[in-house]
Amino acid sequence: MKLKKWIQIILVSSSIIALAACTTKHKQDELAINDGNSGYNDEGAQSSGLGDESGYRDQASSRNGHLSSNRTYYFDFDSNAVHDADKPAIEANAEALASNPSKKAMLEGHTDPRGSREYNIGLGERRAKAVAQILTAKGVNHKQIRVVSYGAEKLASQGHSEADYQRDRRGVLIYLQQ
Amino acid sequence: MRKLFSTMLFVIAVSIPFSAFAMLSMELTRGVSGAIPIAVVPFEGSESAPQNVSAIVTNDLQNSGRFKVSTGRSDNTVVGRVSVLGGDQYEVSFKLLDSLGGKDNSRAVMSKKYTVPGRELRAISHHISDLIYQQITGTRGVFSTRLAYVVVQHGEPGQRRYILEVADQDGYNPRPLLNSPEPIMSPSWAPNGKQIAYVSFENKQAGIYIHNVVTGYRTLVSRFPGINGAPAWSKDGRKLALVLSKSGSPNIYIMDIATRHLTQITNDFYINTEPAWAPSGRSLLFTSNRSGGPQIYQVNLASHAISRVTYDGNYNARGSYTPDGNHVAMIHSVSGIYSIAILDLDSGVVRVVSSRSTDSASPSVAPNGSMVLYDTVIGGRNMLGIVSSDGRIQLLLPARNGEAQDPAWSPYLS
Repeated sequence: MKLKKWIQIILVSSSIIALAACTTKHKQDELAINDGNSGYNDEGAQSSGLGDESGYRDQASSRNGHLSSNRTYYFDFDSNAVHDADKPAIEANAEALASNPSKKAMLEGHTDPRGSREYNIGLGERRAKAVAQILTAKGVNHKQIRVVSYGAEKLASQGHSEADYQRDRRGVLIYLQQ
Repeated sequence: MRKLFSTMLFVIAVSIPFSAFAMLSMELTRGVSGAIPIAVVPFEGSESAPQNVSAIVTNDLQNSGRFKVSTGRSDNTVVGRVSVLGGDQYEVSFKLLDSLGGKDNSRAVMSKKYTVPGRELRAISHHISDLIYQQITGTRGVFSTRLAYVVVQHGEPGQRRYILEVADQDGYNPRPLLNSPEPIMSPSWAPNGKQIAYVSFENKQAGIYIHNVVTGYRTLVSRFPGINGAPAWSKDGRKLALVLSKSGSPNIYIMDIATRHLTQITNDFYINTEPAWAPSGRSLLFTSNRSGGPQIYQVNLASHAISRVTYDGNYNARGSYTPDGNHVAMIHSVSGIYSIAILDLDSGVVRVVSSRSTDSASPSVAPNGSMVLYDTVIGGRNMLGIVSSDGRIQLLLPARNGEAQDPAWSPYLS
């Protein structure tokens, strides 16, 4: 345990030194969720190598294992309202995160491909933040969550039917490798 | 180590050997009836040069939709010659003849001669097309401009590649600027045509880069927490309007590129995005959902006063001015179909110019204001389209190596 902590300290320090050479300076924002994002800017350890499926870990050992394995939440057209049916699963994941403050997760927001790409980035962020709000309300520290909106740039479905659009409109919770 | 490897993957050198085939193929789907007849007689000595100059001029004029090109004689006739000078140098000369004085009385209204190396034969052909186009129509040609766009290659699941490419306006000479496993969006040309700003999701986070098209060197200019999006160059090339959500929701900012100093322009909790500069430089158009759904607004940069521009329909987004400042090209939804439309600011009339049977987006106006470049879906496949601002001329440009989207028309480059 102690060795792991030292390794973490060395990793974080060396990546901060490396990053100091190349990142632009910016002011930290005060809003809770964005503080969580800025925490990630300073941790070079997580900046690359995240495939779509990386960090996926079964929660079979926890009593909420079955519920928390649902990590994709779907949204109605032009809406960022979380479906009631998804709330138990989100809350189960909240408990997993809240009970382990060193665990980190990313929340992706997505839209269907219709309309303006940049406006869809804005919509996607609203969807991811709607899920994030449930997590933080359940005691997850905002520093454990990073929100990223992909808008319509990473569609779940190549097709253009209503069923395809429904699969595209989603928020996705991804646990990150420590 | 892993990070270094991924970084190397992302940055690709600009110059790749000239490609004989267009990566974007261009297909004229509807031309203007009453197109101007012109004859382009195959240039003498054409077969001696690596590029067929008169064939390129023919394609340029034909694809503009304004001309009906033949090879025989006509009221307007282009004749010319290509001579080999040796040492990969060629002399290209042409005459534009009109026969308004009668069939045997054709006179040259334009006559020019150039010496160019082999690698510039396409460029000189496009320049000749520009001259002929302007001489006859009175409008400056855009045959020497370029298109930037994103190609998406799907491959295996989880193996998507996104490539930012620049090609000639006729689809030839595609060159990749960036090749990434994560999305690239919103390319925006600097007014000098030498740099492109864009959004890249490398490292699973949005960042705005400025990329030198000539050298391939690039700089990260914005990577705040949250959204970094929709970069738009000011006309003097010194500022970028952009979108950041570091305040909690997406707002419009202006960044001084040299100092990186930010000025916040909108300050609320709506989705505010897609800034576009007015030709005067004194205001921006932007998209906002402050009245429910997305509409286009204008903000005065001195007073920050906001006024609404679009009232027709329940979805209007991605507005940009034509160069004369009299029209706004945009995405406009009618009965659930997203189309490209042009708003006449004087009359308030909105005219849909893209096909009404499919969704379109990402309009980008040509520097002569006569055409709009956009992306659309045909047969389930994303591709680029070009439509004249009156809707009468339509072209499709599918990519040969994937699906093309999110295009940006360069400024005049010569």
